[in-house]
Amino acid sequence: MKKYIFALTTLQLLFTISAAAQGTGGSDFLRSIGKIYVVVAVIVAVFLGIVVFLIYLDRRLTKLEDQIKDQNE
Amino acid sequence: MIHKNWWKYLGVVILLYVLTVGMLVPLKPGISDIDPSSVRTGETVTFKVWGYNSKFAQAQQPTRAWLKLDDERALSAERVVVKSDTMLEVEFRIPPYLPVSQKVQDFSLILDNDVDGPSVLPSAVFITQDSVDAARGEQVWVNNPVQDLSNVSGMTFPFRNILGETIRNTYFHVALWLAMFTIFIAGVFQSVQYLRLRTPSRDHWAVSYTTIGVLLGILGVVTGAIWAKNTWGAFWSWDVKQNTTAIALLIYLAFFVLRASFEDPEQKARVSAVYNIFAFAALVPLIYVIPRLTDSLHPGAGGNITFGSQDLDNTMRMVFYPAVIGWTLIGVWMATLLYRVKRIQEKLWDVY
Amino acid sequence: MKLVKEIVWLLHKDGLLEWRSGYALGGILLYVLSTVYILYASFEKIEPSLWNALFWIVILFASVNAITKSFVQESGARQLYYYSLLSPISLILAKIIYNVGLLLVLSLLSWGAFTLFAENAVTDNGLFFLAIFLATLGFSITFTFISAISAKANNNSTLMAILCFPLIIPIIMTLINLSKMALDLKIKANIENDLYTLLGIDALLLGMTLVLYPFLWRD
Repeated sequence: MKKYIFALTTLQLLFTISAAAQGTGGSDFLRSIGKIYVVVAVIVAVFLGIVVFLIYLDRRLTKLEDQIKDQNE
Repeated sequence: MIHKNWWKYLGVVILLYVLTVGMLVPLKPGISDIDPSSVRTGETVTFKVWGYNSKFAQAQQPTRAWLKLDDERALSAERVVVKSDTMLEVEFRIPPYLPVSQKVQDFSLILDNDVDGPSVLPSAVFITQDSVDAARGEQVWVNNPVQDLSNVSGMTFPFRNILGETIRNTYFHVALWLAMFTIFIAGVFQSVQYLRLRTPSRDHWAVSYTTIGVLLGILGVVTGAIWAKNTWGAFWSWDVKQNTTAIALLIYLAFFVLRASFEDPEQKARVSAVYNIFAFAALVPLIYVIPRLTDSLHPGAGGNITFGSQDLDNTMRMVFYPAVIGWTLIGVWMATLLYRVKRIQEKLWDVY
Repeated sequence: MKLVKEIVWLLHKDGLLEWRSGYALGGILLYVLSTVYILYASFEKIEPSLWNALFWIVILFASVNAITKSFVQESGARQLYYYSLLSPISLILAKIIYNVGLLLVLSLLSWGAFTLFAENAVTDNGLFFLAIFLATLGFSITFTFISAISAKANNNSTLMAILCFPLIIPIIMTLINLSKMALDLKIKANIENDLYTLLGIDALLLGMTLVLYPFLWRD
């Protein structure tokens, strides 16, 4: 459950950042300098995806470790 | 260690190459904006033109400018004043009649100098005719066809007006999408192998690949949405390719729902392998056939699959193909991690 | 030859069961008639574009309902009997052929009911019939196979819906395009292209079904 909440929060954060950046009109951060920050946002999204995978893997491994501990006792 | 895991390091090195080259190679100089973009016939207009990555002030020979109607006909500029590296003032004398029978005609702006090379802004200026008379338009037309364009070499990515720097997303969004497809194919292949050999490890492989495929698919949709918002104007534009990817994800989520509804591991593996193969067969027409039938905002709609030849030039190919390979290798690496966890889990359960 | 004999025998059996109970056809008929009546009562005048959408919605849900039952009816003992006598290919082919017939009757009846209560919005009857035929083919192949899968998983109708709907979207998209042309909502262009796509999808799914069903049927 935790990992879904995490993924959702990061997604929402990402969308809010990008929406806020263009909603204010004047600065239009994401679209400045030939929209290079859109590329940055995309790379950050991919990185977050890999992080989500790492967290998922971490939890699976923790479970396995607990099982091994149970067996040893 | 190295000799066994060489492909993982290869994937990382390739992605490092993709990141550096993909981010550092500059865009080809282009025209980002023109003002005014709509004029009437019979006027002499001074346009302000903004360049992107351009070096107007450093050109040895004067910059030339045209308003192009078609391959044979173009108006050339009366006067070009360089204000800075990225700004020009161009004066055109618009004839009182145009040699076309439409009320409003669009013209492309073409700039050329010896440093930047030629650059084009398609449909830059719309000229509204006070009265339409194609015959008189032919008479008063002073034709100066676009010719003797300078040839500038150098490693650049193409400049597209709406895309700008986001053309670099090709290496992250599009490549990711192709990697997803490769990973799904690997999963289907493992399902086929499961049905042939009936070894549990094949099922573990199939599930691992499919999980990573879904992850890459979600990333593809999210990155696509960010890109789309800043170029097409909306996160989700009900574009055919967006829809097909969403449906593909639904199919694979259904795959996991199906697996969850079995108790017996053998039956679970067998039925889900059968569904995986069947769903993939249903997915192929979805992704490759339907976008060809309908209009799409994506390039290559109604023709080739992902890219038109003018959208992916040779410099981009040098980064794009490695990017696909790199993302695929990373995806396979992630899948092997999942597989190993599953195998250890199985071993543990056997002990009980 | 043995295959044809087996299929004919199975079709005869299914037809006889249906004739005696009237279970599927009667229920579906009631469903279609009442839906169309409700539509008529609430809209009175139905625009062609709405007609198109409503018609395919009715067909889609009626088909899912009709076919979900095709493997549930078979009790465990009877299935054991089939396994010892018949080949899986003839079993699934007989089911598909039977379901094509069932869905064809069902869609033609709905078309009739729509004509009766609203009016016939179709301007090109031949093309529309062709679209219906190819749709029935695709629907029955997909739904029959998926119902065989979900019959293995016991919790039938929900799983059936989850597994089915994403799979038939390519068929539906092409189909809507075709039927729009048949209703004059869209200029007729590249009809063969759509027909071949639909036929190709049907053939692909049929091939996959025939290859995969032998792995599925026996536990």
